[in-house]
Amino acid sequence: MANVRLEGVNKAYGTIPVLRNIDLTIDHGEFVVFVGPSGSGKSTLLRMIGGLERISAGRLLIDNAVVNDVDAADRNLGMVFQSYALYPHMTVRENLAFPLRMAKVDRVRIHARVAETACLLQIDHLLDRKPRQLSGGQRQRVAIGRAIVREPKVFLFDEPLSNLDTELRVQMRVQIAKLHKQLGNTMIYVTHDQVEAMTMANKIVVLKDGNIEQVGSPHDLYHNPASRFVAGFIGSPKMNFLNGNIEAAHESGMNVRLDAGATISVPVQPDKLLVGEPVTLGIRPDDFSPSAAEKKEIAIELDVDFIEHLGSVTYIYGNTGKEAVVAKAPRPEPPKSAGKVRLAAAPADCHLFTMNGKALRRLRAPANWG
Amino acid sequence: MRLKRSTSTNLILNLLVGICALILTFPLVWIVMMSLKQQAEIMTWPPTFVFSPTLENFRVLFDVAQAGATSYGTIKVDFLTPITNSVVIAIGSVIVSLLLGVPAGYVLARRDVPFKEDIAFFILGFRFAPALLIVIPLFSIFQTIGLYDTYLGMIWVYQVVTLPMIVWLSRSYIEDIPKDIEEAAAMDGAKPFRVVLHIVLPLLKPGLIGASLLIFLLAWHNFALGLILSSTKAPVTVALLKLLNPGVQFYPVMAAGLVVTMIIPVILIIIGQRHLERGLTFGAVK
Repeated sequence: MANVRLEGVNKAYGTIPVLRNIDLTIDHGEFVVFVGPSGSGKSTLLRMIGGLERISAGRLLIDNAVVNDVDAADRNLGMVFQSYALYPHMTVRENLAFPLRMAKVDRVRIHARVAETACLLQIDHLLDRKPRQLSGGQRQRVAIGRAIVREPKVFLFDEPLSNLDTELRVQMRVQIAKLHKQLGNTMIYVTHDQVEAMTMANKIVVLKDGNIEQVGSPHDLYHNPASRFVAGFIGSPKMNFLNGNIEAAHESGMNVRLDAGATISVPVQPDKLLVGEPVTLGIRPDDFSPSAAEKKEIAIELDVDFIEHLGSVTYIYGNTGKEAVVAKAPRPEPPKSAGKVRLAAAPADCHLFTMNGKALRRLRAPANWG
Repeated sequence: MRLKRSTSTNLILNLLVGICALILTFPLVWIVMMSLKQQAEIMTWPPTFVFSPTLENFRVLFDVAQAGATSYGTIKVDFLTPITNSVVIAIGSVIVSLLLGVPAGYVLARRDVPFKEDIAFFILGFRFAPALLIVIPLFSIFQTIGLYDTYLGMIWVYQVVTLPMIVWLSRSYIEDIPKDIEEAAAMDGAKPFRVVLHIVLPLLKPGLIGASLLIFLLAWHNFALGLILSSTKAPVTVALLKLLNPGVQFYPVMAAGLVVTMIIPVILIIIGQRHLERGLTFGAVK
């Protein structure tokens, strides 16, 4: 059982803080994804867990033991690097055997483990090649193999798929997720790609400017984002944000008057103090429907700028005159060209954010998937 | 862009290259010819290009038993000792430089050392200093502490020439090795020493072969240090000077000595050309 706990962890380069007061618990067997824009500190956090960066303040515990001052070599973790970092002068076999040789495992056992790992990752036919003779996807699998061959306590992945083409990325994503199921180890995965985060994680940690914005399941983050940043970061295409003002607070929600025209009652935790304050209404592109059937729905009129046909879905890019809006087009008949289109959304699907970006708690969020 | 050059441009360019090659090879060819001629022949004017070659001059160089009796007088030559000296000193210098310079280059490339750049530049600075600057004070120091005219003293002082090169070259080679690879090795359970042993050194090998060749040549060609700090342990470059006797000048014997002196670097360059090029360009290309 390997859990990882960070208590008040800080990292600074000189006087420049990179990570501030990170508190996080990762349980055994979890697949945790650190996600955030570049410069958010997610890779630094991973490297600190791995022992490649010193921790400026706070405590890092692996298996309930403080490891702040333990060498990377002694932490017994496996890591896959973005650049793969295979040893170019060694064959695939030697690359896979290296961690075992360092651990002074006997030859017979090394041979067996290498064969087993190669078989698991379907690289057994490549064992005698040098890394430069491999394709990107094959190198990636060797790098994963080298990380798992020693059966470490925790696997660390630092943007492992970002050098692969789209098709291969999807394949490897599935393979890593399968691997997690098979091995059942704790995995920590860093990516800037929210799709990877959503599809692979049990738990997502969203980082921004060295702070944790939100920790939660993919479902949680999608349906109950804690801030406007998380709402905009998770989900593709991005959530639409419409500006407005709070007109009134009542027990079933708050009334918002949008700059674009409509007034709507959003079912969120009411707060009388916010009356009169400017707010941002968030609606996901997928939550739009063709037109206002019920009166309760909000309806907006869009000037269509562009229509994107993706086959299974069609997205309308338009604007309300004030803000740009992306909406999933109604089926079965999406609008054919530019012009005006009327779209509606249910208030229960809307999110409300205060001016400082904090989300108001939704009263009618969808139940958890699982 | 026009990719094809006209025939006349091509002709001119080839001609220029040919002239350059001719200018560069002329002294070499001349020395080789001199070494194969008799004393009388080399003085003739106009020079003869057709002659019957003789190996007499080479015999004089190495035939210690005959004590250097030649058809044109007696000279006392012992050329074998200086060649041995040069080989010992140059190889010794390369080994010592590798042992000291590669770790130093590694630290300068990878570790956070205070005043790192200043230290690196200070080391490189010795390449700019004229050898005489250190040789004169060293002369008396070496005599006092008994290093004058010893292999140890010579190898030591040759570090002034060879060590800065190795430090700088290995530093730039090491900077070329992605840091990820070393970090991966650390994650795989390798302690710093084993990272260097199993990962860094094997990756440095091609660069270090080239660099060793380069500093071997530097050591081989050095003249000033050996001239002042040695007598019986003098390298071949100093021995060549001694062939220039005032009064009687044995040009052909000296030419033979030059050919012998050149031949070792030439053989090394031919054998190690690929490594040498790699040694010189290793830092520039990925």
